[in-house]
Order: sequence, then C-alpha cells, then structure tokens
Amino acid sequence: MRALIVYSHPKEGSFNAAVRDLVVAKLHNAGAEVEVIDLYAEGFDPTLTGDELDIYLDTEANIRPVQRHVKALRRCDTLIFVYPTWWYGLPAMLKGWLDRVMVPGVAFTMPEGGDIGPGLTHITRLGVFTTCGASRWLTWTIGAPGRRTLLRGVRLLCSKRVRTAFAAHYLMDSSTPETRAAHLARLDKAMDRFIGAPVRSAGIERAPA
Amino acid sequence: MRAMVVFSHPVPESFSAALHQKVVKTLSARGWEVDDCDLYAEGFDPVLSCVERRGYHDVGPNLDPVAPYVERLRAAQALVFVFPVWNFGYPAMLKGFFDRCFLPGVSFELVNGKVAPALTHITRLAAVTTYGGTRLRAVMAGDPPRHVVKRAVRFVVNRNAKMRYLALYDMNRAEEAKRAAFLARVGAEMERL
Repeated sequence: MRALIVYSHPKEGSFNAAVRDLVVAKLHNAGAEVEVIDLYAEGFDPTLTGDELDIYLDTEANIRPVQRHVKALRRCDTLIFVYPTWWYGLPAMLKGWLDRVMVPGVAFTMPEGGDIGPGLTHITRLGVFTTCGASRWLTWTIGAPGRRTLLRGVRLLCSKRVRTAFAAHYLMDSSTPETRAAHLARLDKAMDRFIGAPVRSAGIERAPA
Repeated sequence: MRAMVVFSHPVPESFSAALHQKVVKTLSARGWEVDDCDLYAEGFDPVLSCVERRGYHDVGPNLDPVAPYVERLRAAQALVFVFPVWNFGYPAMLKGFFDRCFLPGVSFELVNGKVAPALTHITRLAAVTTYGGTRLRAVMAGDPPRHVVKRAVRFVVNRNAKMRYLALYDMNRAEEAKRAAFLARVGAEMERL
C-alpha cells in the first residue's frame, strides 16, 4: 500500500494537523508507505498560468512544472485529502493542486472526438477528511460541493472498484475538546475500515488463479 | 447602477475571455457602470494565509488584507462571475476570491446568533461558465460550481435577487457554431440583466 496524503491548512497546530497525524499513524501501523504533501508548507502556487494552459494538452510538456507532484500521484494506490472546508469547498490552495497536477495524460485522457476517460485507475482507495464551519444540515442543503468535487468528480477518474472514506467535523467554530476527541475516535474507526482487507485491483494486477 | 464582473482565466485569446468581453461590453452599453475585476490580470493572490486564518472572525480588521476588493463588492448592485470549470470546480484563482473576500462581516453577519446575508445590496447575480465535459458528467460529479453559485452565493445576496447560471457544456468538442450561439445567448441575457 502506497499512500499519498495531500494536506492543505495554513496554521500548524490546527485540528486538521491532528487529523493528518492520526491518518499518517494509522497508515504506518498498517505497514503502508506514506508520503505527505503539505501545500502551505512548501509554498505551492495554486494558480494555473497562461503558459501552463498553452501546454495543457501536450501530455509530455504539461507535467514539467509539477513533475514531483505528478510522480507522487502516479506512484500511490491510496489518495487522501485532509483540509478545512471553506465556502463549502476546497481551499484555493487545494483546488489549485487539482488544476495544475490533475492534467490530461495524468488524471484523465481526452481522446479525439470522445468523452473524457479516467487516468487514475491505479488508485483503489480515496479518502476525504475535512472540517466544516457550517452545520451538517447547511452543508447538505448547499449540496456539499467540496465533498462532491472529490468523492464524485475525482472518484470518476479512479479505479472502478475504488474504496472511499469520508469524515467531517461540522460546526468547527463551536467545537470543544470533547467534540474534537470524538471526531478523532470516529476517524480512527473510519481508517480501520478504509485500510481493511486488501483491495482487489481491477484487471491487470489480479493474481493468477 | 454598478456591476462587478469577476473574471478568472489567464489567456486573453481564450473563449472565456471572449465571454468576458461580451459581458462587459453588453452591460456597459445598457448603461451599467462596470467594475471589471480580472483576477489574473490584477495578480490576485488566491491563498488565504496563516495570518488571515487567525484573524478570520475578527470583524473589521479581518478585511484589511483585501480592503479594496471588499469596497468593490460593497459598491456593486450586480455581481457577474465569468470562469471556466476545471476539474469539477472553478479555478483556484476564483475559489481564493471567495476564501479571502467573502468574510464574516462582508458576505454574512451574525445577527442574534443566526447567520444573516450581508450583500443584500446585490440584486442581480449571474455566472457565465464553460465545462470541458458533458452535462451528464457534471451532474454525475454533483456539479459543485453550480451549487456554490446558485445556493451558497445566492444565500448571501438580496433575497429577491435575479439569478442566472449560463453554462456551455462539452466545450472540448464544441464547434464554432455552438460557441457562437452561446456567446449570443450570454449577450441576450446580459441585455436583460
């Protein structure tokens, strides 16, 4: 199991950092290889530029500006996002990571005249762990755009058999030490289910009978 | 009447830029005073910083880092977003505009412990956008950008505001005629705004 965690929070010591640390610890315990990309810490630039759009469809050139990230994405079989939900969605920092790293030839294919095809079929586990200022009710009323971007949008690009996990602490601004501890306990269980028994890969990697 | 047009695309020759031009020209011709806010051209920084996150709920000082943008928002009666959909959402540039400028005290307020909209001077709200994939694909992904504009942003402006969400789907395969038709439709809708 090779896990990539994409983490996006500006403040060290935030509750999201505690979520990240628990996720990393659970993966280590399961014997997984773990890589963490901390977007704020490395000063990632989330802005897709005009120059990058010029080479967007050139599947060799388009990965050059973000080579290290593409390599990490291609290596992993488990992709996990840890972030705070702002305006019902991903922080610009994380949205920009999708814009710049999930390019044609990496995350999807664009065959001439055909519809978009998936490019992340090597990913068999997709996890989304977040905090929301809004209540669960309000988040669902708005349609949970952040969750949908990842668990529906990005999921369409992954393996058909991808196993997913989701956990959110709602009403984060009125959280207490008790609610936060309860959330970490829920996350602990969610991670157990998520890691679970080995996921059978679609097609090619299946062991011979 | 003042309209703020928030545009997010880096390439001047793009179809998004053509839509942007159409919106600005049509609104100006109809007598709107247009505040053209081109986020890429203005070099807007979409990253909400650690300092901003710490001071997020401190109403008043929290808007200091983006004061000019807040003033422009507050001066507008119409708000129009023009952007492409990338990877199931708007560009990070535009997401950062929401993260950094739609602050407590700017877009919403706490009144008697309840969240109340604070952009009630905005009576017209529109989005003009293009999707690379098909409508079906957007629906399968839950169409996050449509939800944010039609529900989240809609909630913080005037409750009687007129709302238009204009989208061209399957842009990657759209021929010239389809693009031209969409451009004309955007022009007609802006005439009526």
